Amino acid sequence: MAEAGKGLSAKERMQKPRNQMPLHEAGLRILSWEEVPIGYSMEQAQDEAIRCIQCKKPECVPACPVGINIPAFIKLVEQGDVAGAAKKIRETNFLPAACGRVCPQDKQCEAVCVVGKKNDPVGIGNLERFVADYEREHNLNRIPDMPPSTGKRVAVIGSGPAGMTCAYELRSRGHEVTVFEAFHRGGGVMVYGIPRFRLPLEVIDEDLKLLEDMGVEFVYNMIIGKILTIDDLLEKEGFDAVFIGTGAGLPKMLGVPGENLNGIYSANEYLTRIYLMHANEFPQYPTPLYQGKKMAVIGAGNTAMDVLRTGKRLGAEVTCYYRRSHEEAPARTEELEHAEQEFVNFKWLSNPVEFLGDERHFVKAIKCEVMKLSEPDESGRRKPLPTGEYFIDEVDTVVFSLGCDVNPIIPSMTPELRTNKWGVVMVDTTTYHTSKKGVFAGGDVVTGGSTVILAMGQAKEAARHVHEYLMGQFNYELNVPTDPNAPGVQWEGRFAKAKR
Amino acid sequence: MTNRIHSIAAKISSQNTEQLKAALAEVAKLSDLSSEEKRELAAALSTSFYRDHAGDEELAQLIDRSESILAAQGAEIAEWMIEQLVEADAESAEHFAGALGQMGAPVVDLLHSWFDTSRNDDYAQINLLLAAGQFTDPAIARVLPEALRCAGSTNKQVKSAAFYCIGRVFARIPPATVGDADRSMLFDTLFAGLSDPSPLVRRHAVRAIGKGVRNNYFTPEQVEKSHNAFRTILGMDHFDWDNAYIVRSEAEYQLHFCQHGLAERQAMPKGKYYQDFSILEKRELCPNTYYFKVNAPLLAKKIQAGQFIIIRPNYDSERMPLSIAGWDREKGYLEIVIMAAGRTSTEATQKNVGDRFQDVVGPLGQRSHVAKYEGACVVLGGGYGTGAVIPTARDLRALGNKVYGVVGARTKDLLILVDELKAVCDEVFVTTNDGSAGIEGFVTHALEQIMAREKVSMALAVGPVPMMMAVAKMTEGKGVETWVSLNAIMVDGTGMCGACRVTVGGKTRFACYHGPDFNAHQVDFNELIKRQRMFVEQEKIAFEAMQR
Ligand SMILES: Cc1cc2nc3c(=O)[nH]c(=O)nc-3n(C[C@H](O)[C@H](O)[C@H](O)COP(=O)(O)OP(=O)(O)OC[C@H]3O[C@@H](n4cnc5c(N)ncnc54)[C@H](O)[C@@H]3O)c2cc1C
Ligand SMILES: Cc1cc2nc3c(=O)[nH]c(=O)nc-3n(C[C@H](O)[C@H](O)[C@H](O)COP(=O)(O)OP(=O)(O)OC[C@H]3O[C@@H](n4cnc5c(N)ncnc54)[C@H](O)[C@@H]3O)c2cc1C
Ligand code: SF4
Ligand code: FES
Repeated sequence: MAEAGKGLSAKERMQKPRNQMPLHEAGLRILSWEEVPIGYSMEQAQDEAIRCIQCKKPECVPACPVGINIPAFIKLVEQGDVAGAAKKIRETNFLPAACGRVCPQDKQCEAVCVVGKKNDPVGIGNLERFVADYEREHNLNRIPDMPPSTGKRVAVIGSGPAGMTCAYELRSRGHEVTVFEAFHRGGGVMVYGIPRFRLPLEVIDEDLKLLEDMGVEFVYNMIIGKILTIDDLLEKEGFDAVFIGTGAGLPKMLGVPGENLNGIYSANEYLTRIYLMHANEFPQYPTPLYQGKKMAVIGAGNTAMDVLRTGKRLGAEVTCYYRRSHEEAPARTEELEHAEQEFVNFKWLSNPVEFLGDERHFVKAIKCEVMKLSEPDESGRRKPLPTGEYFIDEVDTVVFSLGCDVNPIIPSMTPELRTNKWGVVMVDTTTYHTSKKGVFAGGDVVTGGSTVILAMGQAKEAARHVHEYLMGQFNYELNVPTDPNAPGVQWEGRFAKAKR
Repeated sequence: MTNRIHSIAAKISSQNTEQLKAALAEVAKLSDLSSEEKRELAAALSTSFYRDHAGDEELAQLIDRSESILAAQGAEIAEWMIEQLVEADAESAEHFAGALGQMGAPVVDLLHSWFDTSRNDDYAQINLLLAAGQFTDPAIARVLPEALRCAGSTNKQVKSAAFYCIGRVFARIPPATVGDADRSMLFDTLFAGLSDPSPLVRRHAVRAIGKGVRNNYFTPEQVEKSHNAFRTILGMDHFDWDNAYIVRSEAEYQLHFCQHGLAERQAMPKGKYYQDFSILEKRELCPNTYYFKVNAPLLAKKIQAGQFIIIRPNYDSERMPLSIAGWDREKGYLEIVIMAAGRTSTEATQKNVGDRFQDVVGPLGQRSHVAKYEGACVVLGGGYGTGAVIPTARDLRALGNKVYGVVGARTKDLLILVDELKAVCDEVFVTTNDGSAGIEGFVTHALEQIMAREKVSMALAVGPVPMMMAVAKMTEGKGVETWVSLNAIMVDGTGMCGACRVTVGGKTRFACYHGPDFNAHQVDFNELIKRQRMFVEQEKIAFEAMQR
């Protein structure tokens, strides 16, 4: 096959400008739920692939939480063998279409790409997305070859990225896998949190279907801890091991006066009503949403950006209130940019202190204190400090997106499962084994909230050890923290190292 | 005319709403009516059907009541009603039809024979079809051949009415009642209707087909065929879309259901943990309130008194929390009581034996607090709450407590589950606001009497918020540990979204996870009432959209 950049020197490759992701025009896209990026064409993808200089010791691979062989798949794209590239990615990443869309590449592979030193880094995420979409559109994804059944049974709790990955890994090693999901459909936060204009449903359903075709059993409407406990699974139901991938999902509120007024939601409620229950198609779908004209969103993480852009599509004028400044906003750069393009207002250094309601108990205004940033402390962080100045804005809908704690249902019903004071399930960081024998955990439930790819990376590691456990090859000195103040799995460390 | 009927008739026809209301209350107290009197009463009641109730909610409700009362007079007056029906104008015909539909199975044969006798009267046929569409009793399947005959009419109004009737039957009668061959014939007839020259007929054909798809009347091939036909109507595949907007808009609406229906059904795996959530038994307890036995073996094994479940009647439904009135761990079923309040609860109550709920999830929330108390325990139920207190009463009794039950309702006919409660209590008190049974007044009156008689240590109230509030007020400061089960608006029911936030003891709590039972004396009921009203406007729109 033709290799697009044959004969080009590394220097020439590195000087090529990056192929920017084509986007739908901002003014139009806020009128629709369609995905914002359009995706590369074959030509663009090959042209972008040329920019990779195929480092001998690539920085990007260790910067990827699941260690995709990035240069290898990019080379295949350059040669025009997209099917081969897809296979290559699938060796390590089970959800490429989702990851290509929602991974924070600017904090992972692309952040360390050597081309980025002088020029823009290679568009790794865009290429991954291109490959995955090509694979889906050409129906190339096949059930992997599976070894004969081992007769061992594993219960996976939660069908988010962590659960899906763990199910995939264990099933392809020949174990029987049953996934228990509390909701009536699978996908976890990828369905009920991340908006359709960032991640279309068919992308997720495709992979759920693949799992089903592989023989993974999905059981919906099953809240583990309530209908069956982990003890039940291990002792009565005959499972040999359990993987907990139940995510975070206990929304934080601010604890300020007026926060229970009507028209004030947690991001979880707002997004679930829309993306799981289809409130944006009301009344064909009967789940209602009270959507005002002036919406305030508290927080500036990825979730906040999603809420802001969703509100915009529902016709509201939206404003983001954040107590620090633009530089500290935790959202992915691309999301912030997209939000800015979509006419979202930002009020930095504004800390909500009270919500005012009308006589019908509906919110009508937000009161904020103006903040200022301290000098950087020894950790280099600038803290927001109160100034004593306040302002009041009229609003009729407010959404809190302040992150989540871990849902207590499973820990409260499984006394042997150790958690820290935020409810995060404590695990041994090498094996992802919890304090209960035969029970492993990964994803947001052990980090307290992170990313799709990280949840997958952990699930993969965990699956490897579950396999060892099932096959009687599990002999580790386990180290599960006992200190209730211990943090969840500290995952930043690995990337920080990769960066240096 | 006898005197008692005469005075009522005068009130009904006085064109005064208050008088009408008074008359209906009187009617409720009448007994031993002769056939003659029934007929006269019916004539009087039906005059209300002709009144203009535009914009007058109260009057509209009263007219609906008249309709129910009329239906309650039984098959004796059915013949007379059909005579009225076939001549009635469009508005009042709906009420006659509605009343006939409520009479159910006993009048099906009569209706059937009328189809035949009025064969040549198109207008009569239209109204008969309208009536046939109001039945919820499976017996109505017997008139489907008549509907099919009407579907072959050359009059587009008759044809549309026939399609309307068929669509209604699809939505109300389980598909198993209608044989495979008949279902197939219905499909072919409806499908042929898609190419009728009249847009009205086409629209009704689309709608009926959509309802058939939604209610599992058709084979996968037929569903697929419908799906493609709707796409063609919308011009999604070609440029020859249907030129009538009403047909296109209907097709768009129905296509939505076909597509989602397909997707969801494929994703329905079966295995060891599969629960089919089918309805084993259904009973009407009082108007709009039904008792269901639902198959859910895994749930039935684990559920505890005071916990609740969330159901979704259909694949696109809202998630609706429901309390549990009982269970059988061996036989694997749950008992629930559903009061049709709005869209989702109505969708649920329209399901019949043999149908299944799309999703049932639970057990949710914490179990009720029970212990051995020094004094007596009182459980108070209002509306569906009566079902909810039964399991807790049983638990309390099992611990050796003396347990009183109190059931309250507006009037005698709305009292439900009294016998079931009696089975688990030492004594049961009944209260009605109008004094038509038991103590006149509210449940608090009964509580007051019990408290005057002996020491009460614990009370549990489940029902409408004002009732729980009144109980809380009554026991405050009297050393009675008082629990209420809070019915906040919920979404997931697992503590994930915070929709169910309530303030208890000055702290924000999630009713679904920390509750649903809370210490009554610490609950901010006013906030709860206001939060429950958060979506009233949307709920109305959702309900209207369903009735389309
Ligand atoms: C709005 C929003 C936007 C985001 N954007 C991004 C992004 O752009 N990029 C990115 O990488 N990450 C993003 N994230 C984070 C990412 O979605 C999560 O880190 C990831 O989904 C975690 O996966 P998980 O499998 O651990 O848990 P989840 O996806 O939360 O899945 C857990 C599943 O378990 C189920 N469950 C919970 N309890 C039980 C129980 N007791 N029994 C049975 N089932 C149970 C839940 O219903 C759920 O389906 C975003 C998150 C949100 C909320
Ligand atoms: C813990 C709990 C137990 C309940 N038990 C029963 C029961 O055993 N039987 C029964 O008939 N009903 C029960 N309900 C109430 C029932 O869930 C609501 O009546 C139903 O959701 C109304 O939906 P709708 O679409 O039919 O009506 P709508 O027209 O949507 O609403 C009517 C009213 O119901 C309330 N409501 C609406 N949506 C919800 C929701 N998602 N969650 C809670 N309340 C809502 C609101 O106050 C609203 O004003 C219970 C509610 C809770 C929270
Ligand atoms: S770091 Fe950049 S240039 Fe090097 S292999 Fe990875 S993508 Fe290619
Ligand atoms: S219903 Fe979502 S937290 Fe209670």
